[in-house]
Amino acid sequence: MRRDFIKFCGKAGLGLTMPLSWQGLAKGKANEPDAYEGPYYVVFNASGGWDTTYLMDPKGVNDINRLYKEGDILTNGKHKFAPTAKQVKKGMSNEDFFKVYGEELLVFNGMDYSINNHSPCKRYMATGKLDSLAYPTFAALAAASLAKEAPLGFLTFGNYSATGNLVPMARVPYPQSLKLIANADSVQGIARLPYHDDFALDLIEKALGEGADAAHMEQVPLPRAERAKSMLYAAQKNSKALKRVTPFISQNAPKERLARQADIALSCFKGGVCVSANLSIGQFDSHATNDPDQMRLIPEFLTGVDYLMKRAEELKIRDKLVVVIQSEMGRTPHYNKGQGKDHWSIGSIMFMGQGIRGNRVVGATDERQFLIPIDNKTLSIDEENGIRTRPEHIHLALRELAGIEDHPFSKKFPLKIPEEERLQGLFG
Amino acid sequence: MKQIQMMLLAMSLQVSLTGADKTDLSPDHYFVNEVWAKVGELSCQKCHNASGEAEDSRFILQETILVEGTELQAANEANLKAFAKMARMRKEGQLPRLLLKPIGEMDHEGEQVLKPDSTGYAILKAFVQRMEGKSAPAATTEKKYKPRSFFEGVTMIGDESLLRRLTLSLTGRLPTSKEKQAVQQKSQVGLDATLDKLMTEDAFFDRLKEGFNDIFLTNGYDGNGELILSYNHFEKSRLWYHKYDLSHIKDEKERKEALYAMSREYRKAIREEPLELIAHVVRNNRPFTEIMTADYMMVSPYSARGYGIFDQVKKRFKDADNPFEYVPAQLPALRARNDNPVNAPLVQESKTGFYPHAGLLSTFQYLRRYPTTATNRNRLRARMYYQHFLGIDVMELADQVSDAAAIDVKYETPWMEAADCVVCHRSIDPVAGLFQDFYNEEGHFGPRPEGWFEDMFGPGLEGENLPQEDKWRSLQWLAQKTAKDPRFAVAITEHVWYLLSGRKALRPPKDVDDPLFTPRRRAYKMQRSEIAEVAKRFAQADFNLKVIFKELAKSPFYRADGLKAVVEHPHRKAELHDLGVTRLLAPEQLERKIEALFGERWGKVEKEMKILYGGINSQSVTERLSEPSGAMGAIQRIMANDVSCIHVTPDFVREPTKRRLFPKVEKDVVPGSSPANDLKIRKAIVHLQGHLLDRREPIDHPEIERTFKLFSAVVAEAAKRKGIDKRETYHCGRIDGKLVADPHYTLRAWRAVVTYLLRQPEFLYE
Repeated sequence: MRRDFIKFCGKAGLGLTMPLSWQGLAKGKANEPDAYEGPYYVVFNASGGWDTTYLMDPKGVNDINRLYKEGDILTNGKHKFAPTAKQVKKGMSNEDFFKVYGEELLVFNGMDYSINNHSPCKRYMATGKLDSLAYPTFAALAAASLAKEAPLGFLTFGNYSATGNLVPMARVPYPQSLKLIANADSVQGIARLPYHDDFALDLIEKALGEGADAAHMEQVPLPRAERAKSMLYAAQKNSKALKRVTPFISQNAPKERLARQADIALSCFKGGVCVSANLSIGQFDSHATNDPDQMRLIPEFLTGVDYLMKRAEELKIRDKLVVVIQSEMGRTPHYNKGQGKDHWSIGSIMFMGQGIRGNRVVGATDERQFLIPIDNKTLSIDEENGIRTRPEHIHLALRELAGIEDHPFSKKFPLKIPEEERLQGLFG
Repeated sequence: MKQIQMMLLAMSLQVSLTGADKTDLSPDHYFVNEVWAKVGELSCQKCHNASGEAEDSRFILQETILVEGTELQAANEANLKAFAKMARMRKEGQLPRLLLKPIGEMDHEGEQVLKPDSTGYAILKAFVQRMEGKSAPAATTEKKYKPRSFFEGVTMIGDESLLRRLTLSLTGRLPTSKEKQAVQQKSQVGLDATLDKLMTEDAFFDRLKEGFNDIFLTNGYDGNGELILSYNHFEKSRLWYHKYDLSHIKDEKERKEALYAMSREYRKAIREEPLELIAHVVRNNRPFTEIMTADYMMVSPYSARGYGIFDQVKKRFKDADNPFEYVPAQLPALRARNDNPVNAPLVQESKTGFYPHAGLLSTFQYLRRYPTTATNRNRLRARMYYQHFLGIDVMELADQVSDAAAIDVKYETPWMEAADCVVCHRSIDPVAGLFQDFYNEEGHFGPRPEGWFEDMFGPGLEGENLPQEDKWRSLQWLAQKTAKDPRFAVAITEHVWYLLSGRKALRPPKDVDDPLFTPRRRAYKMQRSEIAEVAKRFAQADFNLKVIFKELAKSPFYRADGLKAVVEHPHRKAELHDLGVTRLLAPEQLERKIEALFGERWGKVEKEMKILYGGINSQSVTERLSEPSGAMGAIQRIMANDVSCIHVTPDFVREPTKRRLFPKVEKDVVPGSSPANDLKIRKAIVHLQGHLLDRREPIDHPEIERTFKLFSAVVAEAAKRKGIDKRETYHCGRIDGKLVADPHYTLRAWRAVVTYLLRQPEFLYE
């Protein structure tokens, strides 16, 4: 069905941007898309570059860390982490985080970002492709591939968010914004005050559907205009599903920046209108004062992750979440001339959620925070013959996890990883 | 050892050069679309050109994007000759030079540019095989597709619609009948004359500022407007409003309110200054290079007070109480507060006695918008300089390196020593050094106390060092160089294209494995040539920015509007993929359009729904959304419902001659009551579609019929229903507090029609 649809789009000169439900919609058969019921993909971004040695890849040697020594490093199951409880003034300590989530957490240490500039690194981490501005982020690709007709399929709150023209991105700055637009056909969103009588509204929708279909048959628009028409029609039609979200908007929305983003995303997941979300907070770029900055931001970041999981539990969708926790770069294994640390092209990434076996650590860095290659099949250290794991390796694994690696959208944006380099069983 | 190497090199040269001219070659499909387009242009030419890093090599290539006809043929021939020569150069028992250099062997200064298992390298191998007369793999590009004239089969927008698009886009209004007449009678000449007048209107300058803020984002600098004024230099003047005499306002609360309003306007006035510079240059038909080279800044009566120069400039204002009237002014060289040189010299060095203004570059707003840190060392500013004024995205050029961390550790200063880093830092760091007098996050004047970094490439621009005598005016030096750089005109033309079309100019395709690489490259080449041509005319017209608007308005890239026939071939589809404007209106544009068509703004989409509808705040949200999400679809529905609700009934209440929407139909004209009435309704629909959507359809057009059916069906359905109120609704049908009678449900049916039309792409897109 999906392949036929794409073929249809191709014939119609529509590219790949038309919604799956187009034909039905155009004939007025469907009023709104079915609810998307998961899995839901959340990508947390520590924007600016986090210090992994103060989180999941602790060192405490070679003057890498001033706040603890090697002997202070803590463990929880297979995880090793930096002690932060004594430093945390506000937010979640590593101790608490690993205690709560260690069992379901997969840590990957020794990621090679390849370069160390924010802009290309963000692009690379988000898309798995360094040298192209055209590639979609994983979150956008997942939304397009899994439920293109979801009205807020791909939500973004910042960070690199390119869509590859596969799906529109949506920005929802405040939870109240959702209330504002949930009942678009009623005066001030009050359901009992419709602008039009029901029958008039139905006739408007019918005419719009017929018009969209007829315009397509009567004239030959440029490909760009054709895409725009189909996307516009889909956006308006699918937006009717937004009313499903309102029951799940928190009455007392959190004030913390990451929790607020998580709250909006979860409302949209629960309402069946969203597939994926980019959540992001910045200021990790700790060139001036690394330790105070990281000790302020990492706990805030972990608190955001914690909020997401707990609220998802309340909404009964926790088991449908796939969570990626990342940053665009790491920080140097030494302090600069001041109190800061500069950019480092080796880092870590964490995962948890549906389909991910936790309590595991894959990959490693050495005592000077250099990457140690791994065997892509066994995932164990192999300094001699192993591979350097880069974002494209992770992205391919994520595509496989989401079951979209063979989707035409994924094929449109290939990652070109030789078979002998594919990470096998990364998620367990 | 070295001598032996040199000898071998000389021998190999002799051997290879002997064979270089043996064959008479002509560039075929394989060479042009495979070897050249996928390897030469992408991987070799950036260094191997007459002024590139490898200018001294014997492998010099010519660019082919901006040339056509015999010039293109000559360039292709020259490139083929160069490749053929390299393909023949080989030592006994070795691969030819063409297959060794790109993979980093034979001391290739550019190191490895192709992986041995890459498509690009396979193309080179096939080329060598062909040169040797062996069979080789066929081209990966489609041979059967024979490209014809690029715009063949593409229909262009009519003059009248083009005029409407331009007046709405640039001034947020509909064309006047006089303007329509001028375009009808004189076509492009009339259009030029109309645009000349249009581009003197205040609304145009508002749009210009909005458009350039989308690019420079200067409105988005951090903190209150006045924070660009350093405590160190403006501590006595920057909070002038605290001491402003408002004693004539007797009521204390009112006085406080007045003070708050004054501070708000002051902050806004400061923030707008860089954009006002742009408006000033364009309004006065000054060369647009002046946005770089202006030896002045723009100040308003309020901001001049903040800088402490109000007394010097006050006579130049027409209204010295207008916070938003701007005039050019010069700041005196900055002097440290209380004669105490903290974080800066006592007096800024200046040979003129004035602050060395360099247009936008030296404005505190621009500098604060793109701050620096101790480790960034002004590189962000250098990067933005390249992007904004030379059209080069340095970060787009980032190449993958084998182990960046190892490089970091291996070198003390990798940005000066490691080839992978040097390639960008050689360009970026000298420009960063030109910003050295502003070494802080705040954008304030304040050189690094211990002098500029010596472990960086020294201040300058692309190989030219900043002369010592120009150090005090380094940004002026940069601005003057930039004004002479041909890339400036191209970059500005691209910015205007962005302003007009809502999207960036095409970038060259890079994925050589993409089966549509060749048509995508052609689309890029065509657009690039057009932009280069417009840029040339812009430069010839003494950089008058209005020339770019006029030229692009006439360009087939802006006028392309449809196709004569369905396009089947995927290559042709790829060529046409980006053609035409079809731009989703931004929140501000949508509001202006509503105002133009209905007489007043809706007000919601540019305020509380702005970010939700894809707008920007110039700070954390800096890119407009170009495709509607479901949230935006919902807003479009709300807008269509609400705008029709607000305007339909009042329009009917007006005198027919004063109506915008329904000048020739009344609410008692009921469908199906008589053929004459039906005709009136159809004519009313033709008018509405023309007014709202710029459709010019005959009365028997299917779309008129569909709208008529909608109107009729709503009226008929209402007639069937029991309990339908004979009055318009409370929210949409009150005039002077009283509900308007709607006995036949026609008012509500017209409201349905207007709602339907406002949801059409012709309304929501440009």
